[in-house]
Amino acid sequence: MFLNRSEGLALALPAALFTFLVFLVPVGILLSVAFQNEDGALSLRGYLDFFAQPLNRAVFLRTLKLGVLVALTSAVIGYLAAFCIVNLPPASRGRIFGLVVLPLMISPVARTYAWIVILGRTGIVNDVVVGLGLSDTPLRLLFTETAVFIGLLQLFLPLMIISLVSSMENIPKDVVPAARVLGASWLQVFVRIILPLTKEGLVIGGTLVFTGALTAYITPAILGGSKVLMLETLLYQKVNVSNDFVSASVIAMILIVMCFSANLALKRVASVRR
Amino acid sequence: MSRLATWLILAATLTFLIGPFLIVIFAGLSAGEALAFPPQGLSLKWYAKVFTVESFRASFALSMFLAVFGTLAALLIGIPAAYALNRYDLPGAETIRTIVAAPIIVPGIIVGLALLRYFVVPLNVTITLALFVTHTALVLPYAVRVVSSSLNNLRADMEEAAVILGCTRLQAFTKVVLPNIRGGILAAFILGFVASFNEVPASLFLSGPGVRTLPIDMLSYMEITFDPSVAALSALLAFMSVAIVFLAERLLGFSRYV
Amino acid sequence: MSDAFVSLAGLTLSYGETVAVPDLDLDIAEGELIALLGPSGCGKTTTMRAIAGLLTPARGRIVIDGEDVTRTPANKRGIGLVFQSYALFPHLSAFENVAFGLRLRKRPEAEIRARAEAGMATVGLTGFEGRRPAEMSGGQQQRLALARSLVMEPKVLLLDEPLSNLDARLRLDMRNELQRVQKDTGITMVFVTHDQSEALALADRIVLMKDGRIEQSGPPAELYAEPATRFAADFMGFENIFGVEGPDLVSETGRLPLGYPTDSPILAWRPDGVAVGAGPHSGRVTASSFAGGHREYVIDCPLGRIKANAPIDTAEVPLGRDIAFDLPQATARPLAA
Repeated sequence: MFLNRSEGLALALPAALFTFLVFLVPVGILLSVAFQNEDGALSLRGYLDFFAQPLNRAVFLRTLKLGVLVALTSAVIGYLAAFCIVNLPPASRGRIFGLVVLPLMISPVARTYAWIVILGRTGIVNDVVVGLGLSDTPLRLLFTETAVFIGLLQLFLPLMIISLVSSMENIPKDVVPAARVLGASWLQVFVRIILPLTKEGLVIGGTLVFTGALTAYITPAILGGSKVLMLETLLYQKVNVSNDFVSASVIAMILIVMCFSANLALKRVASVRR
Repeated sequence: MSRLATWLILAATLTFLIGPFLIVIFAGLSAGEALAFPPQGLSLKWYAKVFTVESFRASFALSMFLAVFGTLAALLIGIPAAYALNRYDLPGAETIRTIVAAPIIVPGIIVGLALLRYFVVPLNVTITLALFVTHTALVLPYAVRVVSSSLNNLRADMEEAAVILGCTRLQAFTKVVLPNIRGGILAAFILGFVASFNEVPASLFLSGPGVRTLPIDMLSYMEITFDPSVAALSALLAFMSVAIVFLAERLLGFSRYV
Repeated sequence: MSDAFVSLAGLTLSYGETVAVPDLDLDIAEGELIALLGPSGCGKTTTMRAIAGLLTPARGRIVIDGEDVTRTPANKRGIGLVFQSYALFPHLSAFENVAFGLRLRKRPEAEIRARAEAGMATVGLTGFEGRRPAEMSGGQQQRLALARSLVMEPKVLLLDEPLSNLDARLRLDMRNELQRVQKDTGITMVFVTHDQSEALALADRIVLMKDGRIEQSGPPAELYAEPATRFAADFMGFENIFGVEGPDLVSETGRLPLGYPTDSPILAWRPDGVAVGAGPHSGRVTASSFAGGHREYVIDCPLGRIKANAPIDTAEVPLGRDIAFDLPQATARPLAA
């Protein structure tokens, strides 16, 4: 009854064709720009020129660094939080989990904006610092790497916690007490039991956080400004300030390659376990 | 781990995740002119001002339009695709799946730039249509994925039973499949709506003066003016999103028993 | 044309390149209760799906009640099918599940109500009208699925493994239920099963299938007592099957003198048919278990393993000891090669 393939193709085609035409084709052309020189011949000039500039190199490395740092930090906090959530009584577990998911529904602009109120010149932190006499003038907290880091962490931490909670829920109930009874310390329980059993969740969460941080625009735009550029904000500048579409195409390619490699690594690791 | 440690860790995590946002709500209640916390006196004037800013009203309408109709369009082509991928043994099913999922993997800013340069400009497409197309493409992966998983839970022989009882294939779909994946479709709509409404990077290059989505309008407003109205607007938008999700959760929860 | 009510002629069924059923002929009389019996992959379900119209034959004809329905779509065929999973509609109440097909036919509301209620009464589900399928037990769901098909007054009712999802006690109830319904309505029924005891208990006629072909067809008693082939015998519980070469029984592991003449190339015995405690042969007991009315032995002999049932009043022979046994001519079933 459901073997009529042309019927199935007809149903799937609009979506596939739509995405292909209005999405993949333009993106494909954009990416190809950086592989051509002025005459349209195949060339890596765009890439060489891009990496020849120290600013571009610095932005590339900063983006990578922040992506890794945010992923690692969210993994540490994520494990602590997920472990606590999983061990809550069922009633409060759902409520707390809901509170973790809640921020994902709120506009990233709104969530990032909060840090201006906290870290700004007249923000809460500076009120305290100046009020206590720790410093005579307000500290410059905004437009620093730290501010961007904090913003990204807050934005993407829920994704890590969600992934870890769902993979921890699959750990049989008595495994941890059993290991404790057998004499394992908490550290040993984590390294030998929890970590191997939640590897998949860690990788999924890590990929989501890493690619999210790499491709975030709002956070570096608001909290980093032009002082702390990341690849996305750099791309925006290249296009809107210097009309440099070759560099924009190079950045696009770098971002896509990084995201795809992360996703590929994810698939590899995920398929190892069945 | 002790109960105390558990609650301390959770309290710290949730403070970090949600605390800043509570601050925004209060900052918007300020009676003063500048953004500060704690607010200089309490008033609702900034919450009121939000509704009088002309550009906010226009961009809210645009964002609403994109979120509703972009998501509906994505469902319109996404539901048949999900159904086909689920029920038919398609040649190249994996390729179709990858194509449809691609918009999630490609960073939004690249999508926006690519569409601007190689879709909007050469084809002379209006910005509004370009935004609509972009948002549809970005929401489509969610639509296909969520509807697929809800189709997965519905046995295919249910449709065969319907056909044997006299349904045409189309009737079997509308009378048996559709009512049973209603929850999934609603969930996909909510997810798509929230994703589209909050979307920034892809819409960045596709916005011009006069045609801006709300989040982008907020970004540019912030660059010029440093008053608490953006805080107030952020709070209002958050309430809207949370209310929609909460309501849907209630409805979805209820629909199983009604 | 034959006077059969349902007639399958030269039916060839395939999934893509794979031919599941090549060239099948089968006639079913009106009011007959037929079991399509066989192991998984034998084509029984495929055949049933073709009768229902869920699968279009590559070749051949399907005639029901004198009408060629080979190309008639499933929704116009007037056939009932009770799915193995029941395939009840989870979003509809029990009553609306039963009324579903009648509503499609746009019958007047009063008629729908009356017929659906009568249908639910037939299967003993009066009072369950408002329930959702998920709120009903497996047996109730099964009966609901049956009622949903019966109210359409189909020319033929097909049932896919109707008892397989039920526990042992419900299985007996449902078996009686099906027989009663069939007797009351006189409907022609075809059910598919892999369980020979189910087929034996329920069917007027068993069609044993293997690799898409009919291996043997006949009344239950006939198939039980006189399987014609090695496959049929094996399926009907003849657990000791050996080839004949000259005066000996042979197997892959060895041979044993038969002691009487036979024309058949193959002989088979049920465990009940093997005599234990006395006889010309002997072997070692490798397993012994109490089975209520009898004791089941596994005996290791030159032919390999012999399964034998001994009356419970005989003394138990312990494991590892030798036991005398006989493969008597009286209980031997001769088979074709």
